[in-house]
Amino acid sequence: MRPPETGPPTALLCGEIRTCLLPARQALDIRSAAQFLALRADERVLLSERPTLYARSPDTLTGVDCPLPAADGARVRAVGTVAAHAVLTEGRVLQTSARFRAPASGPDQRRPWGQYLIRPGTVEPLGKLPREPVARGVLDGGRQGDLDVGLIADALLTRLLRHPLLDQRPPMRSRPTRLRWAALPAPSGAGPSLERFTLAEDELRTVRLRVPEDTPADEIAGLCADLALHDWLLTTVVRTFDGIRLGTGADRDGSSVLRALGPAVDHLLHLWMPRARVTPALARLWDPLEERPGFTRQWDALVHRIRDQLALQAIGPARREVEPAP
Amino acid sequence: MTDAVFHETAAAPRTQAVPLAHLSLELGHLYMEDFEAGPGRLRRHFAEVRPWAEAARAAATARAAATARTGAQRARISTCFLVDDYFTRFSSPAEVVPMLLAEADRAGLTVDYLARESGCAVFGEVPVAEAVAGRIVESPPPSSHGIRPPAAQTGWLANGERSPAVRAPQAMKRAQVWRPPKETAARRHSVFLDTELFSDGPDGRTWSCPFLAAVWQLARLGLLRHQGEAVLSPRPHGDGGFPDDWDDLPPLLRLNPDADPFTAYRTCSVLPNRFLPVEHAVRVILDQTEVDPGALGQVAVRARGERAELPDSVADRVSYVFYAGP
Amino acid sequence: MLVFAASDKGGTGRSVTSANLAYQRALTGDHVAYVDFDFGSPTAAAVFDVPGALRGTEEPGLHSYLEGEAPEPARIDVWRQTEHPQLRTRPNQSGRLVLFPGDAGGGEFATGADALERCVDLLLRIDNEFDVTLVDLSAGRSYAVDMVLAATAHPRMRYVPCRWLVFHRWTRQHVIAASGLVHTDHGILRGGVERGHDEETLRASIRFVRAAVPDPESPLWAQGSPAQAAWMQACDEALRRLAAEHRIGDSVVLGIVPLEPILQWREQLITEEDVLSTQIANKETLEALEEIARRLTDDAHWGQP
Repeated sequence: MRPPETGPPTALLCGEIRTCLLPARQALDIRSAAQFLALRADERVLLSERPTLYARSPDTLTGVDCPLPAADGARVRAVGTVAAHAVLTEGRVLQTSARFRAPASGPDQRRPWGQYLIRPGTVEPLGKLPREPVARGVLDGGRQGDLDVGLIADALLTRLLRHPLLDQRPPMRSRPTRLRWAALPAPSGAGPSLERFTLAEDELRTVRLRVPEDTPADEIAGLCADLALHDWLLTTVVRTFDGIRLGTGADRDGSSVLRALGPAVDHLLHLWMPRARVTPALARLWDPLEERPGFTRQWDALVHRIRDQLALQAIGPARREVEPAP
Repeated sequence: MTDAVFHETAAAPRTQAVPLAHLSLELGHLYMEDFEAGPGRLRRHFAEVRPWAEAARAAATARAAATARTGAQRARISTCFLVDDYFTRFSSPAEVVPMLLAEADRAGLTVDYLARESGCAVFGEVPVAEAVAGRIVESPPPSSHGIRPPAAQTGWLANGERSPAVRAPQAMKRAQVWRPPKETAARRHSVFLDTELFSDGPDGRTWSCPFLAAVWQLARLGLLRHQGEAVLSPRPHGDGGFPDDWDDLPPLLRLNPDADPFTAYRTCSVLPNRFLPVEHAVRVILDQTEVDPGALGQVAVRARGERAELPDSVADRVSYVFYAGP
Repeated sequence: MLVFAASDKGGTGRSVTSANLAYQRALTGDHVAYVDFDFGSPTAAAVFDVPGALRGTEEPGLHSYLEGEAPEPARIDVWRQTEHPQLRTRPNQSGRLVLFPGDAGGGEFATGADALERCVDLLLRIDNEFDVTLVDLSAGRSYAVDMVLAATAHPRMRYVPCRWLVFHRWTRQHVIAASGLVHTDHGILRGGVERGHDEETLRASIRFVRAAVPDPESPLWAQGSPAQAAWMQACDEALRRLAAEHRIGDSVVLGIVPLEPILQWREQLITEEDVLSTQIANKETLEALEEIARRLTDDAHWGQP
């Protein structure tokens, strides 16, 4: 159990999650995963085997003293620490997650550093926090020099990717994604809600939430990591069809279909398990996404499509005979 | 997800609690040069320490009484002494410890706990110093948005911003001019301190004296954990004598069976003033160390429970008396 | 796969040709990255017509990234940000084409151990994401060449396939210089071995591209006198002999790019449109580029000659 959080209540929670394929030929087993994620000599890596193999590193902190991004251009200096950790799912998908919480206001002067360290993962504004503009600033991305939790998530990713356990031979090409999130307090008495999930540029997703004030930051980060993982799976599997030109006859022996789809079958198709590690109160936030656009519906369709393609390859020769000559 | 039926122990972190005194009073350090100077040196030392030790006891007792719920609460105070067996090995416990105890006794002082400095580097199998080094979170100078390299890469820790390193500039760009270092918490003028945490040599890593002293303070404050378990737990001393080899002496030994707990809310060390720079460095290290949040929370809860006054910042729980002397 | 583009001298058309190779690969459906390690003159953006990054980029580019001042270098999605009229509409079934530009006003810089680690991080990440990555290196025995030689010898990169293209013009001086870049004491091979490469493997991964080669048969020269034609023929023969003597003969040539006015005068991507409708570029040039692009990943053209 974490100690009871002390200090003023949280006015805003923000974070960013980077999701990528682990660059290793074989998925890491649970023991290697524990070794891989041992970021601190004195803290255990949390391991769990049900319903998926899951390993979570201890938190690491990064000290910051810089302006918060704010959509209205306000310059609010803030001081504190951003907490970051990494998660490995099924020894295959690596996520780094950086987050902070901010109270509604802080002292006008910077305090001694030791006082910030007793509230890990808290960034305090000097003065009042313009909550809404900062939430929008975080999601839209700030200016150069503003607090960018994405950089901190990325620095942790870079550190992990240098680990000697990785042979740097990923089974397939893929792109990492970024998911930025911001959670504002829900009106009193109201439960958590997902206000918006946006597919922004190619690799960027943004999530805006409302949560009851006492919701722990790691539970919200956990929900967002779950969203990020499944969004990455969809994005990556959709893209496996990119380089192959189906039904053109150009691919006479079907080897390009196998080359492209085989790794997805080997390494990704069994990872779909939304809500597996989300607290019950927050798991409901998946519902609107399942309604529209229907994450699981799209996933099921993709899985069927891949299986159909591979089945067609298996009966390939017969099929080619009935195909008209190009 | 505490209401779930299914549990995995590896997935649930926990933190072992330690007993706590009000004050851990350190009666001195013993280095080889002190030993070589003969018993007279120790005798003078304890004679100097005696009045300050009594003052520290009186202060702790007054503090405990002021906050006690009913009547006068007895202040729990334990004393300790640290012998260096890390930087230089000299003599043997069989020779040193009885002499030490005799000189303390002559001054009317009781040494409750005796520690070996190497126990602050590695305690049994636990790499204590390495773990603490991994918990350093550098204080960010203004305009740090989180991409400074961590201290672990360089082996040094400062209380501010160093002078920029002279580096070959890009072709046709001007080299930077010298800039002074800057203490982050400076009041107008800087007292800049940059302390070496360790050095690496052919025989491996040697931790610096200030760094081990910082570990020693954290041990006395009951804030060290290894994967949730308490480290530097004292072992009782039987009736027998002391061994001939330092390695055969437990790293932390309870000499007085009736002693109050080794770990305490606050510490006080009575030292000759040649330790002043070391202890300044200790403060710089403690101010930038994120201690185990579970341990920190337990100590806070216990302190609240018995209304003991406890500074938030860990560095502020440490106090000193420096006397004039070698 | 990583493809490093090197040249001993400037003016070989290294940048413009490798940009065209990147473009050609993207057209065939590959996801392609173009990494501008021409630190002294980061101008790849001009070739791709990406005005925001014309003289390097205002955002932190590769210089800032490698010097540790920025955690990630800027990326420019060429299809989306180019002003080249024909590139704006990304062709159907084409792959991504992403430019990693240098800093605006960046210069050559000495690289240390940190920059090397960051270089390895970057190359690995890009390789994990893209099918083909072209890395354009500063001319000569530059810091850029040094750094990638060390990076590709790094244990973390042991499984990443790397190939080298050395560009040179078809003149005596350029032939000798290109051979020198690879074969002399301080050349790529020696330097590579010193940094931990296996000499034979490295040698087998180096090919030459002859650029701006006048083709005596070309209609361009049809107006010349018979004496001129004979002279050109003789020169060409002599150069072939010279190249062979300098161990850069036909067996290690990946391709030949004909002399092409629009590459000489206005470094740009050559599109089908330039050949078919406006006819400002020669068909032979486009075919040569397509062929070299194809051969980049065709093992038949690589290995021990």
